[in-house]
Amino acid sequence: MTARNEPVRPRPLRAVPDSGDDDGYTDWEAVYQDNATWVYRTLFARVGNRADAEDLTTEVFLAALRPLRLTASVGEVRAYLRATARTVLAAHWRETLGREITSIEDIEQPADSEEAISTAPQRVAQVLDRLPDRYRQILESRFLQSNSIKESAAELGISVANAKVLQHRALRLAAQVNDGDQP
Amino acid sequence: MNARGTRRYVDDLLRGRRPKPFQPDDFEAAQIRTAIELRAAREGADVGAAPRQEFLDDLHRRLAEQMAGTPPAAPRMQNATRRQVIVGTSAAAAAAVAAVSIDRAVTDHPTEAPAAAGELTPNNGTWQRVAASSEVLDGRMHAFDLGSVSGFVRRVDGKPQAVSGVCTHQGCRLWFDAPDDRLRCPCHSTSFAPGGQVLTHQLPIAPKPLPTLMVREADGTIEVFAPARPDQPA
Repeated sequence: MTARNEPVRPRPLRAVPDSGDDDGYTDWEAVYQDNATWVYRTLFARVGNRADAEDLTTEVFLAALRPLRLTASVGEVRAYLRATARTVLAAHWRETLGREITSIEDIEQPADSEEAISTAPQRVAQVLDRLPDRYRQILESRFLQSNSIKESAAELGISVANAKVLQHRALRLAAQVNDGDQP
Repeated sequence: MNARGTRRYVDDLLRGRRPKPFQPDDFEAAQIRTAIELRAAREGADVGAAPRQEFLDDLHRRLAEQMAGTPPAAPRMQNATRRQVIVGTSAAAAAAVAAVSIDRAVTDHPTEAPAAAGELTPNNGTWQRVAASSEVLDGRMHAFDLGSVSGFVRRVDGKPQAVSGVCTHQGCRLWFDAPDDRLRCPCHSTSFAPGGQVLTHQLPIAPKPLPTLMVREADGTIEVFAPARPDQPA
């Protein structure tokens, strides 16, 4: 007596085709598998330590996955995850240091590209290039090679006390050079 | 100024520990920024630049719990009531709208083809007249408003079909653009095909297609299965 159809499960819809490789994701697990690594790397590049990077990555996915519609294209999902990461990182700095130390910029490149994830290696190379040799050496030894202060002192042939002072001064100068580069 | 806080923060970064909060000044913030970039310039999972597999597995488990748990919340409801929501008076219909505007994020069997949305099936519905048979013609959208539910009915190969007339994004009322043969949302330029599929949108995430309604033709009238009006109990 009725024209009622069989109940249909909601299905994703490719409403407005994106250019490129975009068939969207089949489920939240595909979203997670495909994007967890670059989200983590993006955050690590801006907090510099694993504990904070893991916490913030967790926050991003806990906040982002539930409201996410799978009808979105891959590009839209990534832009949305990057925007969520930007908000989460900004809140992290507000809560811990009371000011924005680093941020996730709005850029043209895809969110999973190296330029989008981190420009730290290039920026650091430029800064180190402009430091006096001893300053560059102590920073490379301590920050890049993760040597202890004792090991660094031995490497540079100076006392531990001098190595501490050298590191302190080197970081201050590097910060001035680095901030001078900021747009 | 907080030289000690800065020193400790940098020291924690160097030792791979979680740094502690303090209030740095401008220059101290610049030093911390530089220290972070120095640490982030290293590569490889062993220094933390890539995620640990245990971390990824653990987060995967937490997300699985979250996604399997409670049904999606409907935070948009408050927002929607400020807009032109035409079903706000009926709890049942409001729940139906919440369900379509806040759809489940997980779908098991996706297909490439333009999908139908779910069908709106009220718990306590009755068949209600929306038009005379003669008013509903092939290729024409006939608008109706039952108070609890509003939508459009049309004929496809002679059979009546109906879709909801409420945008699945934030609940604005759609209008039929006859020359373009599509339903348009006045709020965010979303448009839907007469069958409910999304045709265009400018939102970051595509909205759901329109839910269909149960419809029948009997004794020269077209009827839709809809919740009774709260002021006119069935």
